[in-house]
Amino acid sequence: MAIEERTISMLVNNQPGVLSRIAGVFSSRGYNIRSLCVAETTNPEVSRITLTSRAESDFTEKIKKQLDKLIDVISITDFTGAPSVQRELMLISLCLKEENRQEIIRAIDIFGCRVVAMSEDCLIMEITANKDKTAAILRYFEPFGVEEMNRTGAIAVFRQKREG
Amino acid sequence: MGTIGADIVLKTLAEEGVDVIFGYPGANTLPLNDRLTDSPIRHYLMRHEQAAAHAADGYARATGKVGVCLATSGPGATNLVTGIATAYMDSTPMVAITAQVNSDLWGRDAFQEMDIIGITMPITKHSFMVRDVNQLASSLRQAFQLASTGRPGPVLVDIPKDILSAPCGDQPKKIPAAPLKRIENPEQIERIAQALNRSERPVIIIGGGVKLGDACDRATEFVQTARVPFVTTMMGIGSVASANGFNLGFIGMHGNEMANRTVHQADFILALGTRFTERSTSVIEEFAPLATVAQIDIDPTSIGKNIKVDLPYEGEIQNALSALIPLIVPRERDAWLERIRTDRQTLEDKLIDGGCGQAGNLIRKIQAAMPRKTIVVPDVGLNQIWTVRTWQSHSPRSLLTSGGMGTMGFSVPAAIGAKVGAPDRDVVVICGDGGFYMNIQELATISAYSLPIKIVVINNGHLGMIRQIQDLFYEARFTTSALGDTVDLTAVAKGFGIPAERIAVDEDPAEAIARMSGATGPYMLEAMVDQNNYVYPIIPPGASNMEMICGK
Repeated sequence: MAIEERTISMLVNNQPGVLSRIAGVFSSRGYNIRSLCVAETTNPEVSRITLTSRAESDFTEKIKKQLDKLIDVISITDFTGAPSVQRELMLISLCLKEENRQEIIRAIDIFGCRVVAMSEDCLIMEITANKDKTAAILRYFEPFGVEEMNRTGAIAVFRQKREG
Repeated sequence: MGTIGADIVLKTLAEEGVDVIFGYPGANTLPLNDRLTDSPIRHYLMRHEQAAAHAADGYARATGKVGVCLATSGPGATNLVTGIATAYMDSTPMVAITAQVNSDLWGRDAFQEMDIIGITMPITKHSFMVRDVNQLASSLRQAFQLASTGRPGPVLVDIPKDILSAPCGDQPKKIPAAPLKRIENPEQIERIAQALNRSERPVIIIGGGVKLGDACDRATEFVQTARVPFVTTMMGIGSVASANGFNLGFIGMHGNEMANRTVHQADFILALGTRFTERSTSVIEEFAPLATVAQIDIDPTSIGKNIKVDLPYEGEIQNALSALIPLIVPRERDAWLERIRTDRQTLEDKLIDGGCGQAGNLIRKIQAAMPRKTIVVPDVGLNQIWTVRTWQSHSPRSLLTSGGMGTMGFSVPAAIGAKVGAPDRDVVVICGDGGFYMNIQELATISAYSLPIKIVVINNGHLGMIRQIQDLFYEARFTTSALGDTVDLTAVAKGFGIPAERIAVDEDPAEAIARMSGATGPYMLEAMVDQNNYVYPIIPPGASNMEMICGK
């Protein structure tokens, strides 16, 4: 079966231990969670978890059934392959040297990144994009000497209300 | 005395129909133990918390009710773990209550503080940490509901000592839970019926879920109406009476050759309440290669977990069978039934003593001497396979065995739970010497409560199943499997206050068995058997169900 990246999002009770139960469903079956994003929803009693994992095509069905059995999981949606907007936030801290300063500034502009802090020999930029684009941007800047990088992992919203 | 958390616990348990709990006290359970004097609930004091969990499990298996065990924080709670895992693997409805250190001590490595919720997460359906005394009743009620509905299983409720002793008001009475909304799919039942009606060589596989779903009568009716042969998994034995003419035995690694062969030839399989574990199927790719597979299970995660299913149906087995029975078109399958009949005769002629040797004969004689309604509780290992292959289960809930987890030491404490839950039925333990040692302290519980449990220890001085595997697959290098013969188990039993006698290898067991079955109280027989008394057939690791070894 083809292995591909899957994005799953779920609404869960906002309580201690819930994330641990969900992580257990993945780890006990040998799946690695590649990215994970958790935050409160408009209802403070409910959190949304969005995560990605690389797995076979029958993964979602099997994992979904297991997650469905958890009392604290309210609903599960699979964004894989569905029309949706997916974004992650990435911060890159970069060394500035005289010889590449201009190229870096130009690239930041072309990629649509935002400079959030800057000193004489260092800058921090912010990128909000889908995973492919953040990966491409990171690849581009790596040769210039990335001091530090941090990213949030994907969050997602459907493009239109789904049927049913 | 004003109402405190402990009173709410006992009151809620009583409202949930609990009459018995199996436990062991500690400093943190004491508020609860203290209030037991005013409660109708009986507390059985075990000699180890693991045994309390197995006893609750045995109680639940014998009665169909939720079993309850109670342990203190720290080591009390961790000692429950094997028992909870055993219940989890066999889907036993159980509520495990653990006391926790005072909530102001959490996370400070206090004396006997342990994160039992974290430890038991993979082996419970759910768990509750009660943080507010006003949540006690509702958490417990949810625990019972979760333990007993869907695919049953253990639920843990962890209660800090300060919550147990907190003054509180009465908590609202039980609100009847809304029935779970299920998506019924009648078309799928029709498709399964059509496939069955079309098939020429159908077989039904009965798993443990039939018993758990109270569908034994329906399954019997189904077998009789469809006139289709059935096999069982080890957990499914007894769901339909073993003596039923359509019964071909149980499948898998230690199963009956006839059952394995028939499944291999079948063109249609209807699986009821089984997840097709590798112990049943052996190499999955070679399991039932010719069959269209229909699977009915209440647990969506069990459907298609281990095998590709052509016709899945998620729902109550009882309801599914009720819908299925009227759709069956009776059909002559004389060739199929005749082929099974002749194969069966050939195999029975080939297999001396049912493949269980002297031990099998002993078990047959024990069953003959005991009343028909007797509950048999085997341990794990050769003794278990000898028992499940030999004992004729006349009714459901008469064979209680640790199938999924294979927990040695299960039998004696589980038998205690069974006897407490079903006091009008006789209970026989059939145990090996290895497993007997693992919870031997429970002889003290049997003795203290004068529980008339009959214990048969089949003693070969070895971990027999390990020895057989070493003999067959490790070129007879017997390491770490000899227990020796230095212990006089009858003297041990007598020391615990239980009458006991030994049957030598070459001795006729009839009289000793008669003394045991005639005894009014507990009784132990230590039956010596030869270390080479194995079980056949056996399927080698990595082989298919058709590659049975029928002798050395």
